[in-house]
Amino acid sequence: MKNSILLLKTLLLSTSRMNIYKHSTDKKKRRKIVGNMIGVVCLYVMVMVYSIAMCVGYGQYGMIGAAPVMCALIISALAFVFTIFKTNGYLFNFKEYDMLMALPFEAGNIAACKFLYMYVNSLPWYLSISVAMMVGYGIFAGPALVIYPVWMILSLFLPVIPMLAAAFLGFLIAKVSAGFKKTNIIQTILTLVFIIFCFSLRFIIDDLFRNNKVQATLESASEMTENAADIYLPAGWFASAVTKNNILAILLLAGVSAVLFMVVFSIMGRSYRRINSALKSHAEAGKYHMSGQKQRSVVNAVAFKEFKRLTGSTAYMVNGGMGVVLAMLIGVLTLIIGPDRIIQMITQGAPLSAKMLQPAIPFIIYFFIGMVATTACSPSLEGKNYWIIQSLPIEKKTVYQGKMLFNMYLTVPFMFLSTLCLCIAGKVPLLDTILYLILGLALCAFSTAWGCVCGIKHIRLDWENEIEVIKQSAAVAIYMLPNMFVVMGLTVLVVFLGTKMDFKLLTLLLILIASVLALLSYRRVLGIVRK
Amino acid sequence: MDNNVMLEIRHYSKSYGTGKKAADDVNLSVMSGDIYGFIGHNGAGKSTTIRAIVGVLDFTEGEIYIDGHSVKEDSMACKRVTAYIPDNPDLYENLTGIQYLNFIADVFGITASEREKSIRKYADLFEITDVLGNLISSYSHGMKQKVAIISALIHKPKLLVLDEPFVGLDPKATFTLKEIMHDMCKEGTAIFFSTHVLDVAEKLCNKVAIIRHGKIIASGTMEELTEGHSLEEAFLEVDSNEK
Repeated sequence: MKNSILLLKTLLLSTSRMNIYKHSTDKKKRRKIVGNMIGVVCLYVMVMVYSIAMCVGYGQYGMIGAAPVMCALIISALAFVFTIFKTNGYLFNFKEYDMLMALPFEAGNIAACKFLYMYVNSLPWYLSISVAMMVGYGIFAGPALVIYPVWMILSLFLPVIPMLAAAFLGFLIAKVSAGFKKTNIIQTILTLVFIIFCFSLRFIIDDLFRNNKVQATLESASEMTENAADIYLPAGWFASAVTKNNILAILLLAGVSAVLFMVVFSIMGRSYRRINSALKSHAEAGKYHMSGQKQRSVVNAVAFKEFKRLTGSTAYMVNGGMGVVLAMLIGVLTLIIGPDRIIQMITQGAPLSAKMLQPAIPFIIYFFIGMVATTACSPSLEGKNYWIIQSLPIEKKTVYQGKMLFNMYLTVPFMFLSTLCLCIAGKVPLLDTILYLILGLALCAFSTAWGCVCGIKHIRLDWENEIEVIKQSAAVAIYMLPNMFVVMGLTVLVVFLGTKMDFKLLTLLLILIASVLALLSYRRVLGIVRK
Repeated sequence: MDNNVMLEIRHYSKSYGTGKKAADDVNLSVMSGDIYGFIGHNGAGKSTTIRAIVGVLDFTEGEIYIDGHSVKEDSMACKRVTAYIPDNPDLYENLTGIQYLNFIADVFGITASEREKSIRKYADLFEITDVLGNLISSYSHGMKQKVAIISALIHKPKLLVLDEPFVGLDPKATFTLKEIMHDMCKEGTAIFFSTHVLDVAEKLCNKVAIIRHGKIIASGTMEELTEGHSLEEAFLEVDSNEK
């Protein structure tokens, strides 16, 4: 126990920005840390504002009673999804595995500490949501004072069960993959399949409720929340504890979290070494025969290097490839099921038709494809290998052009295919389809170049774990969050404008704006690397 | 098992999914006070064997005992008496040198006064005392290696396992490390290390094993192996006989 606390403390200290700030003599580095911290605080504030706005909505429609369940469900869903993305890299296949395993720590304790490290690091995000929703609930429901400490304490337990579930699934995926030769590829495929299944689960559940004749109105959102709490019991326990002061519910949430924690890591500890051995060891095939080699242009050589970097890491592949896979999935599903049914499932029966949503097709696809730009994390991912590129006779401009080219290679074909699927399914006229494809291309170019600006401006090479770069870096957060919110807003705006003006004219205007933004971002990249 | 046997490897094999054996029926014993050199080509199976000894790599065939404890069955007892220095130590870059050394000392329950004495002694010997307060990320490869070596020495291990320990060290630090290894050996510590530098192995070790394609092709005392020749000549001869 003492050693576990020591390990957890050291893991946290080893990635603490405060520790770097305190001991670094590099003024530029220290300024960057302060900037990053301010950026992260701004993002926490954004999340809090969004959560409070949600409560205001609930409060104004007299449904504030659903806020605790909603809070529990949102935190649980986020905790589950983010943990699935992070399991490989944090729990398994991490850099300092050899060093830790050679020290007198039980394998299960190392895994548990790594999990707790993930938990502590992500807790501020979940608390931002929880505290904001507690305040919103307090304003509209005016509960007894005792609710507040109970809410706060239970907020600490809320992410535990979904995180454990995700970690355990990650463990099972790693265990299965460990039995194969191509562990990385198998692990990536299994993780992606599982994430897609999780995303679809929501629609399957919604569909079940719809078959039960639950009305697709605002009231039904509240009712569905209650239904979800009946299925996911910890959300119900949380709501019952904070609304009815139910002691049993408090004990259940805390107790089940603790027991599950012990069970999961006792099981994981048994095969932890075997799995990591398989993930970290690679047999040398020794069958290579020198044959015809290919010469590539410098930009393409860098792009190819980026491709190998992506496919060499499960965590990078899952995070970097998620968007394009989801976009393709939406495209193919729409083609099979039909656009109206998909719209019904996603919008909970809102009065929207395929025709109304037509001008938003490029943005719907871009929402997924632009979710992650490899250019936002690839500069930092160079890490200790930074010297290779730096010492080669390549201009910095060419290096980043190569990185951008790779992101275009990755996103454009999927954007084309998924946009075509939606256009075919929605019977979009040919000229409109061509315009949407051009808009999609401009958006991909913007995402690539803007991601590169974020990646270079917030480059961090001294990371301990690549997940810090792929999921938690300032570059990725600054690229991804505003991008997602703006795209959501733009989708609504475009649908609205589509009812007022000609689709083609609107798309042409959007192509112009996206192209200018892409060009400006690209020029910014060139400007930064010239300095 | 002989009380003086600190490391005993019996019929250890490690194969990968392809069926290729990275280690094939490896047998060797390292006694207290031995400085045992483990030599072989790149990819011969040295690091695979070392990683299995220190409990990092899982293996199914054979047994490895440290101080009489099985690495498979009682890994904690083995780790408590062992120190390991990998060929390319991945230390926590955002800790300072002293923070890292204190972490290791805490893990082994070294008292404050004892650790202070050890850290001061070895840091002075390796001439890094003045930079211990800096972040490890600011260290050169050699300085990181020195921190890793100090971290391995502060708990006075009974078995010291080193993978290519001299890579990246400056000549003075190499000399210091060799001196430390001699001193530890006199105090009864068993040292097992891999190296490509045959001159170093020849001057430092009393026993040597040569591994090729995962198999031990020769082992014994330095005298038995070299028979009056240099270790380099002996190595090349044994190696060519096996081709």
